Amino acid sequence: MTASATAPACVECPAHNVANLTKLGVDLSQVDFVVALAGNPNTGKSTVFNALTGLHQRTGNWPGKTVTRAEGSFGFGGKRFKIVDLPGTYSLLSASHDEEIARNFILFAQPDVTVIVVDATCLERNLNLALQVLEITDRAVICLNLMDEAKRRGLQVDDRRLARDLGVPVVPTAARFGRGLPELNQAIAEVASGRTVCKPHRINGQSPALADAVGRIAAGVEGLLPGLPNARWVALRLLDSDGDIAAALRSGEIARLQNASMPAAAGESPQPPPRAEPASASPDPTALVTEASTLRWRVGPDFHQTLVESIYAESARIADRAVTHPGDKARFDFDRSIDRLVTSRALGFPIMFVLLLVVFWVTIAGANYPSHLLSVLLLDTIHPWLKAASAAIGVPGWIDGLLLDGMYLGAGWVISVMLPPMAIFFPLFTLLEDFGYLPRVAFNLDSLFRRAGAHGKQALTMAMGFGCNAAGIVATRIIDSPRERLIAILTNNFALCNGRWPTQILIASIFIGGMAPPYLAGAISAAAVVAVAVLGVALTFVTSWLLSRTVLRGEVSTFHLELPPYRPPRVLKTLYTSLIDRTLLVLWRAIVFAAPAGAVIWLVANVHIAGVSIAAHAVRLFDPFAAAIGLTGVILLAYIIAIPANEIVIPTVLMLSVLVTGISDVGSGAGVMFELDSQSATQRVLEAGGFTLLVAINLMLFSLCHNPCSTTIYTIWKETRSARWTAVASLMPVAVGIALCFVTAQLWRLVSLL
Amino acid sequence: MGPLAALCGVILLTTAAAWLFRPIRGRAWRWLRLVQKTERVLIEDALKHLYDCEFRRAPCTLQSLSGALEISRNHATALLGRLEGLDLVNRSNGSYRLATAGRREALRVVRIHRLWERYLAEETGYAAEEWHIEAEHREHETSAAEAEEMALRLSFPRYDPHGAPIPTPSGEIGPAVGMPLTQARLGDVVEVVHMEDEPEAIYGQLLAEGVHLGMRLRLLESTPHSLRFEADEEEHVLAPIIAANVSVVPIVMPVATEPARHLSDLSRNEEARVVALSPACRGIGRRRLLDLGFVPGTLVRVENMGPGGDPVALRVRGALIALRRDQARFIHVTAAEKGVAA
Repeated sequence: MTASATAPACVECPAHNVANLTKLGVDLSQVDFVVALAGNPNTGKSTVFNALTGLHQRTGNWPGKTVTRAEGSFGFGGKRFKIVDLPGTYSLLSASHDEEIARNFILFAQPDVTVIVVDATCLERNLNLALQVLEITDRAVICLNLMDEAKRRGLQVDDRRLARDLGVPVVPTAARFGRGLPELNQAIAEVASGRTVCKPHRINGQSPALADAVGRIAAGVEGLLPGLPNARWVALRLLDSDGDIAAALRSGEIARLQNASMPAAAGESPQPPPRAEPASASPDPTALVTEASTLRWRVGPDFHQTLVESIYAESARIADRAVTHPGDKARFDFDRSIDRLVTSRALGFPIMFVLLLVVFWVTIAGANYPSHLLSVLLLDTIHPWLKAASAAIGVPGWIDGLLLDGMYLGAGWVISVMLPPMAIFFPLFTLLEDFGYLPRVAFNLDSLFRRAGAHGKQALTMAMGFGCNAAGIVATRIIDSPRERLIAILTNNFALCNGRWPTQILIASIFIGGMAPPYLAGAISAAAVVAVAVLGVALTFVTSWLLSRTVLRGEVSTFHLELPPYRPPRVLKTLYTSLIDRTLLVLWRAIVFAAPAGAVIWLVANVHIAGVSIAAHAVRLFDPFAAAIGLTGVILLAYIIAIPANEIVIPTVLMLSVLVTGISDVGSGAGVMFELDSQSATQRVLEAGGFTLLVAINLMLFSLCHNPCSTTIYTIWKETRSARWTAVASLMPVAVGIALCFVTAQLWRLVSLL
Repeated sequence: MGPLAALCGVILLTTAAAWLFRPIRGRAWRWLRLVQKTERVLIEDALKHLYDCEFRRAPCTLQSLSGALEISRNHATALLGRLEGLDLVNRSNGSYRLATAGRREALRVVRIHRLWERYLAEETGYAAEEWHIEAEHREHETSAAEAEEMALRLSFPRYDPHGAPIPTPSGEIGPAVGMPLTQARLGDVVEVVHMEDEPEAIYGQLLAEGVHLGMRLRLLESTPHSLRFEADEEEHVLAPIIAANVSVVPIVMPVATEPARHLSDLSRNEEARVVALSPACRGIGRRRLLDLGFVPGTLVRVENMGPGGDPVALRVRGALIALRRDQARFIHVTAAEKGVAA
């Protein structure tokens, strides 16, 4: 039934669908063959990808989706191969976002080879996906990965037997150690060039009713679209109520595949099929869909379950013949004993807190020195030097102010505050993830998050939010349930990011620590900062609960959490990629967001209307409202013009205080952000600007609860593609912040009246 | 303004806003729905009500219409007059009946309503008690073409998620199946085939008792005050007035099987074999469980539990997957016989 796929006319011709690949955003210049990489999650698929492509790769998103796509290329035997990493999925039947992308790529882009990475230690489960892929395409190679782990567990996998049963080449590999990769390249090249012709295994199903139904619908599909390589699979999908495939059949998208699958030199084939116009692809797709929905009932009350059952039964049969496990009772003992420890009632939480504390401590302690160094270099050395240089060549004052005092300072500030903690925090996190510990944290905390209507993995995205909210929001991709992912995105801002820690620490040590006796000052101000962070966590739970019961009611919600086996992390590789990624993110943010913010700040302080700067006008305008919620107009203005970066809020507050109060002995002039080395000098400026203990406390609260920085807002928009959710995520924290500040201020005034 | 007054004022305002805007039942939403009840919506709702009366073989009167549509008597009179004028409805001694054109129109709306319910149940995260309410709004905003698109997406479903038949586009509708649970014989095993989704309060009680479509139960005791039955190894009690909203069909019991348990009832290190997924688990949640390998015949072993007993980490087909307890409850298992590898 699939003989026509290997058309004799052009054996070595690429078979991929150029039009659909271009639509999917794959650049085909200088590419001979297109390879897709499919596989279950946690099978070392990305290791295989990295091993195949080396450094020739780039990551991006699937068009219109927020699912990461990695693309790379390699050369073999004088041909160029483009390799596209598909999302890791367990199946192609449920039509989750990931599955849809993987399925549509294999179906519509018609890659020359699909490499299916399977975990040799878990063959039966992995064959479930492999068998489904083999239904769609007959140009496939099985990469039997993690052979090293299988060996360690005493499993013997007979790859030849497997190759015979599946009808496609099977290459055993241990991608971590680079073993088996030349053979994999060879197998890919042979399938791509048509030298190896696959006769893939097809799901025949144990139930005769199923086989009969598939046969009848498949005959209908073939009658409709002669020469379609995967008519049987289309029939299966129609029977399984797959609305997308039914729609694609009706719209003619599938009919176009039939044409494209014919080699370019179609005229040479014995009987060229009539080039069916998609629109009139009669007899009638709709009739076929209706027939499928009638036949479905004959197979059983739940067709989908019957189908999944028979695929799994077949996987089990094939795996059983290929794998021998000589009495390995103890194969999961090591993992199980670690699990018992890190998830135990008594030790689970203490271990988690200690590890998190260590990560935070290493980040803060380790970032201190490089941050100081960067600040001295960028702000105290290069900035004056640039100023002197521009004065020497006679640049007009306003250009010099806008570029150097505004944009350069804004960008420099963000880099020096943000880069070092990011470069330390995230690699540490990635190492814990590589090891396999992070899923266990989600496992431990899930019951807590479940009560708030959220997913246990939100614990991880929240923890990443403590480093950077934008990174935390990108990390919500690990949550594969749409409702819970949105909750995690909308509440991530309540995790105090590293741009806000310095504000908290400074204000707490001046105003709260300052009230306590000196020997307690440090402890009390630290306690105040921790209290604010804990309040943030509490608000995360409260708002998650509210969101899941109001605006997010109708969103799809499912749960499962895979706990992969523990694996030694690849330290150097992780450090390297993590470091590069973070540095690039910080630099991008500094240039795209912080530099323009610096310019705005400078302009606001230097453009005068009726003899008074815009800043002074705005502060006077905001003051009454600010007073009602226990803040000052300067703070509100600083939060508005410093939206792009929380790091520059305090320097802006200081600059504006000096500007508005007219203090003359500190600061570097209107619009030039600054910080003071001495706490008492800072305190003097702030108190002159109207700071009291109440204002200080409210500033700490408002710093926790205000709109996310513009990098984060932009990231939310990119991840949700929805103006509505971006607006909710941006405005909800401000509303909470204003309410909190208002209540605190009124209670404060009430108490001080008594 | 004193701080106390300000605080009180804001707290009052917040409470009022919460009361006005709380989801579904908030005053503001009710008001909005009332305003949106255009003449067309009222006509569609009136025809649906008349169809419902016909289906239940109950007379439809002015009172029943004004009650069902939450409109005044005068408004209902005017509405019925209009329907008569359009030849959609006939009147005979005080009660109203659908004319042929009216029935066709009513079935069209019923079709869209039930398609929406099916869609909400299969493809969204709305809870069972919300399907009907949501469908009530959406049915009026859906064109015939959109409805057919939805039917295709769902591959032409035959029943709504409450077990009621969906009319075909040409207006044919299958007969209602089953008998009320109250009429089932003691000791018979029956299967739930339909649950009436109105009134809301009764449907809510059925859901709270865990009654679901496809549930198999055995009637243990029937008195005028209560109905006691057994299902999934658990005993349930319902008031007859509530049980009357459940339709059942008797089934010929297959050969007596081993008693099934819920996967969530297993203790640590226990192993069991999956026999079925509860029909109450549907849509995306069900497909996900199947994909993860929880198909009948699979060996499952409880490897670990979260600190509070939730979630449960399960070894299934070689991987370790954590599920929540309420999901594990959907998976029915029996003791695993020794020496058989799945």
